[in-house]
Amino acid sequence: MENLKLEKTNYIPEFDLNAQTGVLSIRGKSYPENTFEVYKPINEWIKSYLKDTSNEKTVVYLELTYLNSSSLKAYFDIFDLFEEATKDGKVIEISWIYESEDDIIEETGEDFIEDFESLKIKLVPQN
Amino acid sequence: MNISKIRNVMQEEGIVFSFSGMISQSLTEFMIETASEQFDKDGYDAKITKSMFLIAIEQLQNVMSYSKQKHIDKNEYTSPGVLVVGFDKDKQKYYVNSSNEIIESDKEKVSTKIDFINTMDNQEQRKYLRAKLRSADDKHDRGAGVGFIEMAKRSSEKLEYDFEEIDGKLFFHILAYV
Repeated sequence: MENLKLEKTNYIPEFDLNAQTGVLSIRGKSYPENTFEVYKPINEWIKSYLKDTSNEKTVVYLELTYLNSSSLKAYFDIFDLFEEATKDGKVIEISWIYESEDDIIEETGEDFIEDFESLKIKLVPQN
Repeated sequence: MNISKIRNVMQEEGIVFSFSGMISQSLTEFMIETASEQFDKDGYDAKITKSMFLIAIEQLQNVMSYSKQKHIDKNEYTSPGVLVVGFDKDKQKYYVNSSNEIIESDKEKVSTKIDFINTMDNQEQRKYLRAKLRSADDKHDRGAGVGFIEMAKRSSEKLEYDFEEIDGKLFFHILAYV
């Protein structure tokens, strides 16, 4: 499977999704106006990766500093995929990385933990 | 044109960022990249600044998606509107205020939505938003249909809104205090 790498812009994060290593990193700000178009290929890539992968585990790094409400929706949809794959026996570890001072992004991470109880989501504050 | 008159009004209203014209993604980007970074440099409270700009993003993207005079060019939406971000001296709070022309038939839909959100406190809004994000009930082609909930969640007071008819056109105004 091809890896997916996309450079970031001011309002679309950098995507570095590696099917061989099983490391999926998304970093940056996410507040596009056409959010679903932006996230459609990402969602599709993750879906087929999770279906095909034989990696022992998948490690996800999410470091998002700005999220508009439609991006939140896009991540809820991605977490749904992770949850389904976990039910199928896949091992997925998610790190929700945020600046230690940033209560808003920390709170968003807490929301994901509460809503996706079957997923391993770790809050990772950084200085 | 009297620029000093405009400057005086801006000072009286505590306006720190304002725009009137075509609202676009480029404007949203400009606001976040320059205005919000300036706030950070000037030592404003980071959480208040971020809440304020998150509300502003939702208001701008609402104007782009729901305005009556929406333009679609190369799959980019733009719409005429007004955005004002300022500091209310009486309340000692920042506010985000916007105005745009809307379609008459959206009036009731919008007020029902906001009235309902306004019955909840911030914790209830936080839960309600998550429920909506999981259900995709209000999802449309450009967004999750949850912009007002996100605005309310980031506000310390109820969302204030009204509709005003000017020259036969219906305008929607919304105001949120951080």
